[in-house]
Amino acid sequence: MKPRHDIVSHLKARRLAAGGMTQQELADRAGVTRQTILSIEKGKYSPSVGLALRLAQVLGATVEELFALEDE
Amino acid sequence: MPAILPRFLRSPATLIASGLVLGGFLLAGLDWRFLLLAAAGAFGPGVLRELGWLRDKDELELQAARRAGYHAFLVGGLLTFTLAAFLRAGEGAAGTTAPREHLSSLADTVLAAMWFTWLVSSLLAYWGPRPTARRLLWAFGAVWLAFNLLAGEGDWRVSAMQALLALPFLLPAALASRLPRAAGVLALAGAVGCFLFFGLQDVFTEPRALNRSVVLVLFVGPLLAAGLALLGAHEE
Repeated sequence: MKPRHDIVSHLKARRLAAGGMTQQELADRAGVTRQTILSIEKGKYSPSVGLALRLAQVLGATVEELFALEDE
Repeated sequence: MPAILPRFLRSPATLIASGLVLGGFLLAGLDWRFLLLAAAGAFGPGVLRELGWLRDKDELELQAARRAGYHAFLVGGLLTFTLAAFLRAGEGAAGTTAPREHLSSLADTVLAAMWFTWLVSSLLAYWGPRPTARRLLWAFGAVWLAFNLLAGEGDWRVSAMQALLALPFLLPAALASRLPRAAGVLALAGAVGCFLFFGLQDVFTEPRALNRSVVLVLFVGPLLAAGLALLGAHEE
C-alpha cells in the first residue's frame, strides 16, 4: 500500500505572525485566489511545490516552517 | 443571498463562454446548427486552458476543474454505456432502430448529466459541501423561478402557480445556513416529490418519456445533490 502524506499547514500562524497579513493580501502577492489560501490554511488543499515556495518567499519563511508531514 | 458564482466562474473568459452558451441555445430556435456556438462556449475555454493559451485559473481552481472533468467523464461514460446497452437490447427485441427524437433526447440527457456532474463536483471541491448546497439551491431556484414566471406568458395567475415549482429549492436555501439538516431533509423530500409530480419514473420504462430526462437531471439533480451535501457534511 502506498503511504499517505498528510500535510499539516502552519500557514495561518505564519501569516498572522508576519504583521497580520490578510488572506487576500497573501493571495494577491502569491498570485492565487483567497479561496486557495483559505483551503490551504484549513488543510483541505496541499499546494504544489512551486506555490509552497512562493508562499514561503512572501512570508519570509522556509517551506518546512509552513508545512510539515502529519507524523513529524 | 450569497454570491452564487465563485470568482473563477466570473472571469472574463467564463463570462464570454456563458454568453456563447446562452446565445447558442437561444439561436438554436432559428437553426439547430447554432448549438455549435453553445458547444464552443461550454468546452472552448477548457480546450484553450489545456493548450496553455488561456491562464485564468490558479492551481486549486485548475485541480477542481480537472477532477470535476474526470467525474463528468465517469458519469457520462457509465450513462452512455447503460443507454447503449438498453437501446441495443430494445433494437434486437423489436427489430427496429431508435427514432430520431429519442436519439436527440439521449444526447441531451448525457450532456445534461455530464454538465451537472462537472458543476457540482467543481463547486464541492472549491467551496465544500454546505456552501455549495446553499448556492446550488439559490441558483437553480432562481433559474426555475424565472423560467416558470416567463412560462405564464403574462397571465399572473398562471405565473404564480408555476412559480410554486421554485419553492422546493428556495425554501431549503433559506433554511440552509441556520438549519442545515432540516434543509437537507426538505431538499431530499422535494427531490422525491418532484420526481413523482413530474412522473419521472416513466423515463426508465417509457421511451417517449425520454425527453423528460433532462428535467430529471436539472430539477431533481440539484435537490438531491444539495440534500445529500447538507446531510452528509460535517460542521464547518
